[in-house]
Amino acid sequence: MNPLPALVLLPLMGGVLAWVAGRMRHPVNPSTHHASWWVVLATLSVETLILVMVTFAHRAHAGPWLEHFSMPWIPAMGIAVRLDMDGLSLSLIWLSLILCFVCLFLATRQVTAHVGAFHFLFLATLAGIIGTFLATDLFVFFFFWELMLVPMFVLIAAWGHEDRQRAAMKFFMFTQGSGLLMLLSILGLVIAHDRQTGVLTFDIFALARTPLSPALSMLLMLGFFTAFAVKLPVVPVHVWLPDAHTQAPTAASVLLAGILLKTGGYGMIRFNVMLFPDAASHFAPIAMGLGVAGILYGAWLSCAQDDVKRLIAYSSISHMGFVLLGIFSGSAMGMQGAIMQMLAHGLGTAALFVIAGAIQDRLHTRDMNRIGGLWAAMPRLSGTGLFFAVASLGMPGLGNFTGEFLVLLATWHVSPATATLAAIGLVPAAIYALRMVNRIFLAAPRAGLPSLEDFPLRHMAVLACVMTFLIMLGLYPQLFRTFSAPSPLSVTASQEDHAP
Amino acid sequence: MTGHDVFLPMPLMVVSLGIMIMLAATAWRRSVERSFVGGMVSLLLALAVMGHHTGRMPDTGGSLFIQDRWTGYTAILIIFSSLCILLMAWRDAGHDRTTLVDEYPLLFMLGTLGALAMVFSANYMSFFLGLEIQGISLIGLAAFRHRSFMQGCEAAMKYLILSGVSSAILLFGIGLAYSITGSLRFMAPIVAGDLPAALPVAATVMILVGMFFKLSAVPFHMWLPDVMEGAPVPVATFLAVVSKIAIFSSLVRYFGTGDQPPFFDDILSVVITLTILGGNLLALRQTSLIRLLACSSIAHVGYLLIAFLCPGHLQSGAITFYLLAYTASTLGVFATITAFAIHEGPDGTAIMQWKGLFFRRPFLASAMSLMLLSLAGIPPGIGFFAKFEIAATGVEYPRGLLLCVLMIGSIIGLYYYLNIIRMMMAAPSLPSPRLNRHARPELTALVIVLSMIVVIGGLLPARAIHSLLPAPTVPPAVQDRMAP
Repeated sequence: MNPLPALVLLPLMGGVLAWVAGRMRHPVNPSTHHASWWVVLATLSVETLILVMVTFAHRAHAGPWLEHFSMPWIPAMGIAVRLDMDGLSLSLIWLSLILCFVCLFLATRQVTAHVGAFHFLFLATLAGIIGTFLATDLFVFFFFWELMLVPMFVLIAAWGHEDRQRAAMKFFMFTQGSGLLMLLSILGLVIAHDRQTGVLTFDIFALARTPLSPALSMLLMLGFFTAFAVKLPVVPVHVWLPDAHTQAPTAASVLLAGILLKTGGYGMIRFNVMLFPDAASHFAPIAMGLGVAGILYGAWLSCAQDDVKRLIAYSSISHMGFVLLGIFSGSAMGMQGAIMQMLAHGLGTAALFVIAGAIQDRLHTRDMNRIGGLWAAMPRLSGTGLFFAVASLGMPGLGNFTGEFLVLLATWHVSPATATLAAIGLVPAAIYALRMVNRIFLAAPRAGLPSLEDFPLRHMAVLACVMTFLIMLGLYPQLFRTFSAPSPLSVTASQEDHAP
Repeated sequence: MTGHDVFLPMPLMVVSLGIMIMLAATAWRRSVERSFVGGMVSLLLALAVMGHHTGRMPDTGGSLFIQDRWTGYTAILIIFSSLCILLMAWRDAGHDRTTLVDEYPLLFMLGTLGALAMVFSANYMSFFLGLEIQGISLIGLAAFRHRSFMQGCEAAMKYLILSGVSSAILLFGIGLAYSITGSLRFMAPIVAGDLPAALPVAATVMILVGMFFKLSAVPFHMWLPDVMEGAPVPVATFLAVVSKIAIFSSLVRYFGTGDQPPFFDDILSVVITLTILGGNLLALRQTSLIRLLACSSIAHVGYLLIAFLCPGHLQSGAITFYLLAYTASTLGVFATITAFAIHEGPDGTAIMQWKGLFFRRPFLASAMSLMLLSLAGIPPGIGFFAKFEIAATGVEYPRGLLLCVLMIGSIIGLYYYLNIIRMMMAAPSLPSPRLNRHARPELTALVIVLSMIVVIGGLLPARAIHSLLPAPTVPPAVQDRMAP
């Protein structure tokens, strides 16, 4: 059996099961309240098992693509369910799964209303994200791209904080609206291919070979770029992100910051740079300029926030600026830096959101002026918070540093001025991270703090895993560098010897 | 002329026969239930005899009716929608004892007959008769709540007058077309010779205006929201679905069977732009759900017209699929509304009243969200693929401007559709007792069936894409012969 469709379908089916389990009520036994939680745990475990199998399986064929699956879907339009896996998608799926475990253990138990539905939507988002990482048919990619937004919209709109509905609308309008531009680009590419070869197909490997005029290729590339830029987010179109992150429930914040943003970076690597290499290299100066703008602007605004979640959200914008810079630096090193940065940012920011969520649960506020001096009351939580804040400011030895360093190095080869500007962004990063640590954890304890429950040991164990990954990324990046490289589109996972 | 000379599609015969029997039954003894059952049975019979006909089509193309895959497809859509609408109306009619209601299904059937006649017609006469049968029955239907709800009268009057005006314009156009070609064949008047070009242009434009009126394309759209709001919900559904399918089907046949006049592109581009933007912008400010759906249905006509304007090998599949998607999703939305609405007054249609519905009626609220997402063009609804196909036709036959309009319209549409879903997810502020709380098994079943169509159509659309548009039936030589 081919593992790729299972990877996508399993979360969906598990989600439905969790929903059903959540609807069964046994008033006598309150532990069944968590039945859906157990279903999710089982689903994620099986999913991990499959992923382990894929990772360590012996390959029957030599080639950069690890797995391939294809099945006709809409033959009249040349659409097939094509899923392919390379190192890039594999590493991002690993990231998604790890973060889902983090969510499951640390965040979803805080949800008390409609638990089953929450878990269903949670897993549905995951299914959409995994589908996005695997799809190599442009229609299927777009399908998953749109599909993951709906459950996320509901998660924010139904379980979020005080201003959740506006934030959810904003999130959906921005991501969906830009998605339409991508749809037009996809159609343009497909029809250009159809005109030249007479074959109507959405297969990315076939489309990558389409000769395009420079103008058309630039136009199509821009359509893709806009959609991914909104998701990443790149500065002028980032406005949905602070609101969505702030208002989302903790688990959704983790999903958003940890994984959903990565689909933007993934799309840029796979579709902008690899599908339209020439147009992308022409566009690179602008993209890099936007990246630097994002780094500086995000960090600057992050320094001015009083709301913890907003602070982390703006710092995400800043970090994703490095990703954009790396992707468009035009070198393999920059690309690897971007991927490292995505992985490290996913882990680190997700953990920070978990900590912010935990603080909000205990103190019922996200305002840093009203939180203060938690170290005495909650040493474990504060220690973890310090670790991830330091990771976020790019301390050598942790994953973020590797990513930023590689990106800056690659940028230096292209344009020293840009690299300098981007490096300046690290100064406010230190300011906001240390300011957060200072005010939340280290300041003098506030009078009238209620007695607070620290992180229990089992939570610490989960967070310790995340820390381990971050340290591994920082100290031994070589492992991930070879593992997570994207495969070129000129080489396909050959269909004949590997058909399902 | 003997009987077997007349070419008659069987569904028309069956529906007419059904209506006569219903009339006779009404004269004998009044009964709402019997009237409904009669209507449904004749619709089901019409479905059963869909492919059959009597008589033989004349080779020269001088027949009143025509029957091909396109008529079959749209007629099935119309009959299916009518069945759904009858099912929606069933309980309402039974509840309202103040008016005599066994005319209600009868008028629905008449409307369906008119729509079917329009679909099958290959001649100006049969087309115009069908249009008027449908229009007149709709006037009666729109006024049905006039005792309990004043706007009912207003709706009927508005429809009467505006529909009359548009019919008059259409008729004038038909007359001009006849004077040019000397034939009543249902096709755009194109003259090969060196006749003054102004006459065919005038005729075509007038016929187009008449059709746009009925289709409620901007700038001829103002009546639709008012009429739909004043009419009972099932009648509004009929207006939004059946009458639009019928007139759109005729439009496709009228302009699809021959060469298109040269000015056609420009007029249609302008109308499409206005329709999409106007419909969506109007919908943005509505507080009544029915009015909102009316405006959004205006916008959907605009999307359909994009596919109509972009000939290419994707066009046919896109039009047929979009019609199916629009029909299923719209019927679904209206079925859900009917499940809540009370027969008297406009209750249950103010969006505010839907607050917190997810917590009180999770099933219906989920179905409603699914339908709205499908209308907005988001997977896994059938509307996603439909919009995808429309965009594909626009890209294939490059129409950059219209694609931009499509995109802007879709984003605006997204906002108001999502707004309803957002409303349903908000915490309920006040208990709203005006919502209908009766269990309605037939509506639940209908909603389930429509949801399945929407989801399956969205996930496995391959089966539903067919090229069904009418092929040019008359060779150009015949056209030349028809010119004076």
